[in-house]
Amino acid sequence: MATEYDLRMGDGKRVFHSKNQIMDDLEAGSADAADLGEISALSSNELEKIAEIIMTKSRMVGVEPGKEVPVTHDIGTLRIDGDQGNSGVGIPSSRMIGCMMHERAFGADTMELGHIDYSFKPVKPVIAQECQAMEVCQQNMIIPLLYGAMPNMGLYYTPDGPFENPGDLMKAFKIAEAQESIEKSADHLTRDMIWIIQHMMKSSSDGVNFDTTGAAGDGDMFATLHAVEALRKEFPEMYIEVGMAGECVLGMHGGLEYDGKTLAGLWPHQQAPLVTKAGANVFGPVVNTNTSMSFSWNLARAVTFIKAAVEASDVPCHVDMGMGVGGIPMLETPPIDAVSRASKAMVEVAGVDGI
Amino acid sequence: MSKEELIKELSDAIISCKKDNVLAAVEKAKDAGMEPAEIIEKGLAAGMNEVGVLFERGKLFLPHVMMAADAMAQGVKLLETDLGAGATEKKKAVIVNGTVEGDVHDIGKSIVSTMLQSAGFEVHDIGRDMPTKSFIDKIKEVNADVVGLSALMTTTMQGQKEVIEALKEEGLRDKVKVMIGGAPATQAWADKIGADIYAENASEAVKQVKEILSV
Ligand code: B12
Repeated sequence: MATEYDLRMGDGKRVFHSKNQIMDDLEAGSADAADLGEISALSSNELEKIAEIIMTKSRMVGVEPGKEVPVTHDIGTLRIDGDQGNSGVGIPSSRMIGCMMHERAFGADTMELGHIDYSFKPVKPVIAQECQAMEVCQQNMIIPLLYGAMPNMGLYYTPDGPFENPGDLMKAFKIAEAQESIEKSADHLTRDMIWIIQHMMKSSSDGVNFDTTGAAGDGDMFATLHAVEALRKEFPEMYIEVGMAGECVLGMHGGLEYDGKTLAGLWPHQQAPLVTKAGANVFGPVVNTNTSMSFSWNLARAVTFIKAAVEASDVPCHVDMGMGVGGIPMLETPPIDAVSRASKAMVEVAGVDGI
Repeated sequence: MSKEELIKELSDAIISCKKDNVLAAVEKAKDAGMEPAEIIEKGLAAGMNEVGVLFERGKLFLPHVMMAADAMAQGVKLLETDLGAGATEKKKAVIVNGTVEGDVHDIGKSIVSTMLQSAGFEVHDIGRDMPTKSFIDKIKEVNADVVGLSALMTTTMQGQKEVIEALKEEGLRDKVKVMIGGAPATQAWADKIGADIYAENASEAVKQVKEILSV
């Protein structure tokens, strides 16, 4: 019987696959990305290299010496203190302690401050406290500290916000009205994000991380790109990171454009140039994990998309690696065997600049 | 024009998402003597399925899906007289769809509702973060054939199981097909909790519901 290697399914379940099965899944995963994104599939050498990483006989793996990349953390501020159903450890502590632990104990290269809700809109009423927290953290830290939050445009739709829910309008075949509602929400969101970050910059933030951009679809991405553009103009030296919500920009509006390109339906390698054009200096591409497929399939698929994004991007790509993204299974605490293998493959095969 | 060509024209017209194209193609097929049922099933509905697939691939967007669905409804209307009284009044299957308690993710769930509605089902989307009781109440109220349960988090998937248990307690389990979805769900999870359908995305959901209800 062929040697079997232990790996996981996308939902974290342990499975044992032979090298042949692993190679078949790698090839199929890469082909799926190539087909969807109309990009090149990985070469047989690259697939072989990922297979080697997967089959390494140790619990966790690391990159080859000299290939280390920077790691940045979104929402990490809260991971120590909070348990929000996504890998928080729930040790009572402050946000500053969270930031400092990441800097001094966990080796983070940049960090971000975020608040418990983590969307931009609810920062407005607590802006003074956020500014104060930023100042105190900056006084205690050396690594770049950004302010991070999610555009989360859904908060501008009924029942959470002032504009009629485009989902409801769409279902009633009121297409033009739905699009108008998305446009109005996007304008409002752009204004709010600029206003919040202007305040954070006054409080000595090193920049901003737009996390899960595009979560509410193309309008969400549209709003973010416009906020990036305005902030870049006002603060030529600030760090701006744009991290995505998913691999493909959902077409909720369908007609929104940036720089003459329709935003709906863009894949990571098409998102990168627009994010750069708007003025970001780090792009965080995302590839979703399919919980029904194996780790091999998911990883090859993710590496294929990310490699194309790295090639298309003029700014560093810090790939989003975590629960249910970047080939990693969807588990509250992402298993270290998968996290370390996926990260190594992203660095050594996709060529990412950071994680 | 051969029948195959007419069918292709119907389905292409739907994919173009333009009402005028659809109406013209329907007229043409009618004049050529094609059966109304065939025009709908092989032409229009097949086109609508393709629209779903193109949406999933990021090639068509939500407004297109709605325009195509609207165009299809208008096309079907043109055939109503030929179909004979009551044929298109055939009772649509009723679906209750919602996101389970504790989970506010509703983007994917709403897309599923929209696609099911576009495919001609009567959909009652009860929203997000819905307690088990709300599902049961709505199922009873509208006499649902299918219930869709969305969960986007590993921590809320349990809610899908709870609704299934509650359906059993209420003696409704045999009357209602249960469909589950959301990123953490898998066929294995569906099997484990005894759901009838697991669908990975919205167009797959439409396909599976049609299959299980044989419509
Ligand atoms: C957008 C988003 C949000 C938005 C949701 C806005 C909204 N109105 O929906 C906001 C910002 C509010 C949010 C909040 C939170 N989120 Co969130 N969120 C996401 C994100 C980025 C995208 C989800 C999405 O909309 N995808 C796009 C849609 C189209 O895809 P989909 O939902 O998968 O739907 C498709 C299929 O799954 C299927 N489908 C869906 N439903 C159904 C139903 C049926 C019946 C069928 C058949 C099919 C089906 O068809 C759909 C169309 O193809 C995901 C990460 C990711 N990239 O997936 C995290 C994610 C789901 N969130 C996560 C978490 C942890 C949270 C929070 C707890 C964060 C926090 N700390 O506060 C809160 C949740 C609060 C709560 N109580 O629910 C985690 C879940 C982890 C886990 N434990 O499983 C994820 C995976 C991110 C992560 N890696 O940490 N989130």
